[in-house]
Amino acid sequence: MSRVKISEYRAKKIILGGAYKGVSVCADEKTKLPAKGKWVAKVDQGVKKRFKQGLVAVDVSPQSAARAMNRWKKKGFSQFILEPLFKHSSEEEQYFSLERIRDGIRMLHARDGGVDIESNPEAVKAYVIRTPEDIAAIAKASKLPEAFLRNLIESFDANFFAFLELNPLIVRNGEAIPLDAAALVDSAGAFFTRAWGEGDVVKSTTKHPAEERIEALAATTPASLKLNVLKKNGALFFLLSGGGGSIVIADEAQLEGAGTQIGNYGEYSGDPTRQETYLYSKEVIGLLLASRPPAGGKKALVIAGGVANFTDIKKTFAGIVDALTESADALRAKGVKVFVRRGGPNEKAGLALTHDFLKREKLLGSIYGSETVITKAVEDAIRFVNLRHGVNLRHGVS
Amino acid sequence: MISIQDIRKSAQGILVLGNHPAIVQSILDFDSACGKKRPSVVACITANRRSMKFFFGKQEVLIPCFGDVTKVPKDLASSIQWMLNLQSGRRAYESTINFFDAFPKALGGHIFAENVPEKHATELIRRYGKEKLLAGPSGVGLLVPGHLKLGAIGGTDIAQIEASKLATEGAIAVVSTSGGMTNELIRAVALAGKRLSFSLCIGGDRFSATSLTDVLLLAENDPKTTAIAYFGELGGIDEYEIADLLKSKKLTKPVLAYVAGVIDEAFDEHMQFGHAKALVARQDESARAKREALRDAGALAPDTFPEFLEEFSKLPSPDFRDRMIIVNDLTNRRASILSTREIVDLDEVPVFVKGGKLMRRGENAFARAALKALLARDVKSDITAAFAEAVFELLIDHGGNVSGAVNTMITARAGKDLVSSLVSGLLTIGPRFGGAVNDAASTWLTGLQSGMDAAAFVRERTKGGKLLSGIGHRKYRVGIPDPRVAAIAQFAELLTNHPHYDFARAVEKMTTAKNGSLILNVDGIMAAIFLDILMEAEGYSQSELQEIIDAEFFNALFIIPRSIGFIAHFIEQKKNDEGLFRLPDELLYVRKSPKKEK
Repeated sequence: MSRVKISEYRAKKIILGGAYKGVSVCADEKTKLPAKGKWVAKVDQGVKKRFKQGLVAVDVSPQSAARAMNRWKKKGFSQFILEPLFKHSSEEEQYFSLERIRDGIRMLHARDGGVDIESNPEAVKAYVIRTPEDIAAIAKASKLPEAFLRNLIESFDANFFAFLELNPLIVRNGEAIPLDAAALVDSAGAFFTRAWGEGDVVKSTTKHPAEERIEALAATTPASLKLNVLKKNGALFFLLSGGGGSIVIADEAQLEGAGTQIGNYGEYSGDPTRQETYLYSKEVIGLLLASRPPAGGKKALVIAGGVANFTDIKKTFAGIVDALTESADALRAKGVKVFVRRGGPNEKAGLALTHDFLKREKLLGSIYGSETVITKAVEDAIRFVNLRHGVNLRHGVS
Repeated sequence: MISIQDIRKSAQGILVLGNHPAIVQSILDFDSACGKKRPSVVACITANRRSMKFFFGKQEVLIPCFGDVTKVPKDLASSIQWMLNLQSGRRAYESTINFFDAFPKALGGHIFAENVPEKHATELIRRYGKEKLLAGPSGVGLLVPGHLKLGAIGGTDIAQIEASKLATEGAIAVVSTSGGMTNELIRAVALAGKRLSFSLCIGGDRFSATSLTDVLLLAENDPKTTAIAYFGELGGIDEYEIADLLKSKKLTKPVLAYVAGVIDEAFDEHMQFGHAKALVARQDESARAKREALRDAGALAPDTFPEFLEEFSKLPSPDFRDRMIIVNDLTNRRASILSTREIVDLDEVPVFVKGGKLMRRGENAFARAALKALLARDVKSDITAAFAEAVFELLIDHGGNVSGAVNTMITARAGKDLVSSLVSGLLTIGPRFGGAVNDAASTWLTGLQSGMDAAAFVRERTKGGKLLSGIGHRKYRVGIPDPRVAAIAQFAELLTNHPHYDFARAVEKMTTAKNGSLILNVDGIMAAIFLDILMEAEGYSQSELQEIIDAEFFNALFIIPRSIGFIAHFIEQKKNDEGLFRLPDELLYVRKSPKKEK
């Protein structure tokens, strides 16, 4: 569905195979470190500009590598690699990357560049590999070893890579040695390759338990369920539907100056069942109930989305009402109001049952159907949460 | 690649890969709303069934199903122009290639799946990107109002098709990455008092099979399109393609655009939004940057969505006349729960005897042999054989509604074999269904023997509300005679005496005086006439008649032909292969258990 980072260790294992002598070290497990030699230790969690952040230790003994990793562990990192030191001069450093594009695979290459490529982009040459027959000519033009390039591109393509950066890359005696590697794979390819798996995907930050539960739920349904927790003590909580519609609604909050009050972002789409919608809604409501906005401010739940093509409104809203029913007393006690805008198949029936429920439970903020603009519910909700303590609302772009 | 105008002119046969009944039904509803004579969906590719039932207007139709694209028979294959690929992301690539291998002349299609790998998408682009019009991967498809609905686009509910006026050809093109927002914009066109020329959802994946440039050129080259409404999101660089087209004057029609995603600015790090492409990797992929690039190139790209919507009413568009869609006709439909064919023509009853003469003097060899087997003696008279033949022919079937046929069909749909299905139908035969012939024979025999007149006999027999076998019908009554009864009654003319028949008619006179529906029914007339024939033409004594009544012989007259009918319904079920039958909830009344009633 999207491009995700995999560890440098896994990426190098895939492209270099048995020739790769790096060791993967996980903070939670005991890994037998080499006894002697000179090594490079690095944090392997897809962090950009590692060197500048002090997350690389070059030319170190195994003992001092272990000390470095302990230091990084205290900073919250958990995944490292240890690679044999490769001595080289900075003049030898080349820049190399591959990216899957519409026409094939785009290769960017700079013979002199290395780690400082960003300061001289004009040195970078671009090539597009449309078929394997293109490789020989590109190898010649770039003076990269053809066998290396051929294997690399084959492996990149076969293993559903989306992006691969080797920087710096050293070419010496007809051999290419990547020192650092960063790789994005296409998560939709996971089914088709065994070269990498879920365990190789780099987790940037620790996930909120609610996000983890939704991820687990999403793995079991053809429908799409996504949740990001943004602000623990937000005022606006979103139960949005549709990949595009959800952005439009969140945009409106940002444009109205309420972007920082958003507690969560996410969307459900692809006609989830009543039960799936119930489980999804429960997580959002849980986040809302746990939130403590500053100065005892008001909280609102925005249930909104576009005019669905095939998601059944009656069915999905029944699931939402199931979740709201469980927490109705708690929501009322906290003065939460619910704002709704939605259209689609069985729109009337779905909105009617939600309206009746919200009214009966004294949770109704406002409710609209497809005849009203998609952003109306979130506008109402912003007005509601900001009414009392007079937050200055902006209109339009700042 | 085909033009939108050519789509309007060409036939629109769709082959559906996979199974999504709501989407297929919405296409048929669109077709009937547009006044098409037949559904655009030609067939479905789905395992384990031979057909699926849908509504076309108010009528039900069976859409044939096949296990794979190569199995579609030639006569259907020749009418397939479009692929609607509803399979999962894992299968979308392979099944698309299989489709175009089987139908190389097809015009294009839609790939619905959301997680098609990039590698597969780029390979599809290499193969078909310039030649075929393909919506997706992901998104909701392609819509040409009045002509083609390829996918969920425009909604799956007839109320949506009506509200968005999708039967009317219009002038505004809607192009969007997001499926939901495609529909939102389609509705916005209608709410602004305009109509849609076409809409294509290119999908939120990183690589759409048909490029945004090609889609916009479709709009530019379409004589009906006067303006373009576009919805895009942060991530990717598609909007720069629009800007380039505008700047180079390859695109001259007005473009109204909204690029969503300024919310990304509220976060510390760029966030991956719902669609695969919706992630800002470089600065120029932000919503704000792309919006500004569009503005620089001359597009109208408002900052807020409400402002964007307001601009819809200002888009240039010619006048139009709406095609009426009567929503109620299509919402108050109730699907049948079983389907079969008319096994015998119930409206056409043959004439067996005319002017006192047998009409058909065939050998009646089967009837003769059957009677010989059942009665264990040779049939002497042609009348006897002809009568059995006539009864067999009449009783083969009486439609799929009757209990025995229903049971046979349900058993067949549970995947059972011929004998099991037939037996489940046969076991339904009894006092209320088809099993009354023997009882009727018993009634007439004992009635005649009793020496009572019909009035006294009826009084005696119906004491305490008892029913008389051979009398009464649910559908026919005095004034609406059962044509089968009339046909059989003609046999009486061939006999010198027909005391059982006369007695039965006398009884009928009594009962119909009470209630018009208490007429002599098929069971009754068969029993009466056959008793008379056996007596006069075959020389049966009263005690011999009693003997065969005791052995239930007369019910065999129903069971033999009706077995054929049940088998015919069984075969029909196997042909249709609609899968396991389940009674729809709305056809089942469930009394709540006392515990639940508070």
